Amino acid sequence: MVCIFMIDEQFVQVKNLRKVYDNGHEALKDVSFSVKKGDLVCLLGPSGCGKTTMLNMLAGLLDPTSGDILFNGKSVVKVAPKDRQIGYVFQNYALYPHMTVLQNVMFPLTVGKNKRSKAEAEKVAKKYMEITQITELANQKPGNLSGGQQQRVAIARALVQEPQILLMDEPLSNLDARLRLKIREEIRSLVKRVGITTLFVTHDQEEALSIGDKIILFNNGVIQQDDVGQNFYLEPNNYFVANFVGNPVIDNFAVKIADGKISGSDFEIPLAALDQDRIKGELTPGEYTLSVRPENILPSEQGHFTAKISDVELIGRERILKFDHDGIQARSLVNLETTIQRGDQVQLSMRLDRIFLFTKEGTRVY
Amino acid sequence: MKKNQTKAWLFLAPTVILSTLFLIWPILRAFVMSFQSGSLINLSWTGFSNYKYIFSDPEFWSSMSHTILYAVVTVPIGLAISVMLAWMIFSKVKHKSFWETTFFMPYVTSTIAIGIVFRYIFNGDYGILNFVLKFFHLPTANWLDDPSMSMITVIIFGIWTSLAFNIVILMGALRNIDPNFYTIAEMYGASSNEKFWRITMPQLVPTLAFLLTMDVISAFKVYTSIYALFNGQAGVGNSASVAVFYIYNKFQMVGTPGVAMAATVILFLLILLTTFLQRKLMKKIGEN
Amino acid sequence: MKKLHVGTLVAYIILTIFAIITIFPFIYMILGGLMSFQETTAIPPTIIPKHFQWGNYAKVFKQAPFARYFLNTFIVASVTTIVSLLNSLLGAFAMVNLEFKGKKILQMVMLSLLMVPGEAIIFTNYNTIARLGLLNTYLGLVLPFLTSIFYMYYLQSYFGSISKTIYKASMIDGASDWNYIWKILVPMSKGGLFTVGLLSFISSWNSFLWPLLVTNEDTMRLLNNGLSSFASDAGAETELQLAAATLTVLPILILYFIFRKQIIQGVVRNDLKG
Repeated sequence: MVCIFMIDEQFVQVKNLRKVYDNGHEALKDVSFSVKKGDLVCLLGPSGCGKTTMLNMLAGLLDPTSGDILFNGKSVVKVAPKDRQIGYVFQNYALYPHMTVLQNVMFPLTVGKNKRSKAEAEKVAKKYMEITQITELANQKPGNLSGGQQQRVAIARALVQEPQILLMDEPLSNLDARLRLKIREEIRSLVKRVGITTLFVTHDQEEALSIGDKIILFNNGVIQQDDVGQNFYLEPNNYFVANFVGNPVIDNFAVKIADGKISGSDFEIPLAALDQDRIKGELTPGEYTLSVRPENILPSEQGHFTAKISDVELIGRERILKFDHDGIQARSLVNLETTIQRGDQVQLSMRLDRIFLFTKEGTRVY
Repeated sequence: MKKNQTKAWLFLAPTVILSTLFLIWPILRAFVMSFQSGSLINLSWTGFSNYKYIFSDPEFWSSMSHTILYAVVTVPIGLAISVMLAWMIFSKVKHKSFWETTFFMPYVTSTIAIGIVFRYIFNGDYGILNFVLKFFHLPTANWLDDPSMSMITVIIFGIWTSLAFNIVILMGALRNIDPNFYTIAEMYGASSNEKFWRITMPQLVPTLAFLLTMDVISAFKVYTSIYALFNGQAGVGNSASVAVFYIYNKFQMVGTPGVAMAATVILFLLILLTTFLQRKLMKKIGEN
Repeated sequence: MKKLHVGTLVAYIILTIFAIITIFPFIYMILGGLMSFQETTAIPPTIIPKHFQWGNYAKVFKQAPFARYFLNTFIVASVTTIVSLLNSLLGAFAMVNLEFKGKKILQMVMLSLLMVPGEAIIFTNYNTIARLGLLNTYLGLVLPFLTSIFYMYYLQSYFGSISKTIYKASMIDGASDWNYIWKILVPMSKGGLFTVGLLSFISSWNSFLWPLLVTNEDTMRLLNNGLSSFASDAGAETELQLAAATLTVLPILILYFIFRKQIIQGVVRNDLKG
């Protein structure tokens, strides 16, 4: 009631949602977020983080233990899945194997309250089959289709009821790598063209970053960060986010803050050298983790410390220099032309306006 | 998944109601009736007297000993022949499904009808079995009319009947054995015999344990085949009377349902014991 | 190489002997039903009758109402099969796809009821049917068999192999449970349902002890009971007994030869005992 003026803007609202399974497992702990109309939002996280539970509750396939879900300002918690005006694309597509592609796509229009005349159902189905480019597969059975084709059938079937919200549960995970890239672009352009609000579950950060208008990162049933893609790189909320997002993964160094400086095992940085605007918490003396993305720790004439390169790995346009620091492997991402080789002693320098400091609890203070 | 309390019970209602009426209720009822005497309409409590009665009834003991004799002889022989035939079909010959189809025929056919044929085959005067035995200069017998032969006749018919189910189940189990086991064994030069005893048999143990139990249980329940062989009788002079015959007789003919139910409870306990022993056996096998 | 050959040959010989032992009674039954009385009692025994005595069948139909037995058996087997299949189908659906309180306990009770031998309860069930006044009625013949925990258990494993997301997808597509059962579950498990139906029909066709108990009027008898009483009444007329036996067995044998694959696979799949 309080946010009536926001209805149009925030199309999906999740408020203090909690889910405890019968076996006592708490899959979601007090989750709140909202999604704007027409946005494509990715729910990202490692397996078991609660993202699929979240999606199932949005669909009405699971009942929340407490909390509320609003679509277009109205609570849908007590509304059956079929009345929620949603489309759902399952990880395994869940196509009905005994029906042809056309019958699969038509199915939602032949049962329940969306039931239409056969001719009309066929017309609508064909329209969406055209959009998803599966018209010529109409009379095939799903068993004869490739993964990519099945995917499109699943999307066409989800869209045919002309739902308000499209929910997709890891829709790309059953495809091979090349197809995945292609289909994810197609999905993005399709949902933008149709203008449907979409929630897309994935465990693949790259997928999330490339497709999502924004990303909601889950871990252990808690939202870690709800933000636009680049901020997961540039401004991670906490230690988990910094480590989950980024490839190659972020470098972590154990450090101490004392006497106005940060000291690692073989380097020191005066606190005064930090960008004062980026300080988020009190830098009280104690133990911290200093994290820096590999592209922000580079060889230079005058580095923070010296390391022996233990391995050089080529990844496309770049090279990863691997080195041991204080017993832990760390990486530096350099361009292809570098001449540094395995065994070389290299001075490494961190960009101080790009490093992060986390407390032992994982809270970011810088 | 969402909870659908009432809907679920609605779907289950026919099964739950019917099973309560015709499965759970009769077990309890049988148990209660075994402590009662009188006719069906006029039952009264008599404690353990029905049990005392059957335990001192020589007819009960002869029926039980016939039942157990039938189980102890029919089941192992039937199983051994089935294993041999199934292994031959599986490993030696072509057209496996032809053989399987042939051997499975008795399973789907009426015991009464086939019993009539066997009665004809077993006939002491003009039966073809005696003729064949004579042809090979083997001793003949009066299969149906000699009381001392009754149980042997029943057992032969029982073995003939039991092969079908055993063979088909064993074929299923044989097909489930990973063919790579045999490929590897062949690479090490294992003979056909070695393959059978070292690979096939150990893999078949759970199936054999299952069949053993199923066969023993159905042997305890043998009735129709005897009825068919001896034209509604339990052999000449009750020489092939078995547990279910005894129960039927006490229930329907003599009109002492309490006694019949006491015998039923004993039979039920025997079957439970067999199932229980099978569970134990399977568990032990599972552990090894 | 040669040794292998001998083994195969021995296998063929043994299998052939046992195959003959298995099939011979069936062939002998059919042939015997076409013999004359003299031929059935001749020594050495007749194998192939000189003239096929088709008249034996006419005599059988004249001496006992076999047409009526057929009709009764067909009605009882069909009703039992269709209704029990429907009931176990609905039950299995609920057990697989719905969540409800008491599901685990129910499953345990059902599993232990599977162990109850029919012979242990058949007499008390007779008592129930008698009290309901249903002796000598079709309802009395079928009532205890209108559901089958065995088939329900079988179908549960069949339905369980269908991905859970198919059910979820149908919910989102707007299908009711009823829609799901008839438009998705049944078409997807046609094979399993068909096999269960066949096995149920066959075992119902061959049932003996229960109809023996609950019917005593000739017009309500089923084939096997009719056959067995005919066998006592026809006395020494073996050829008529065999003709009647052929009548009883042949429909099922034909069914078996048409659907042998489904039947055998169905039995193997869950170690079904009819």
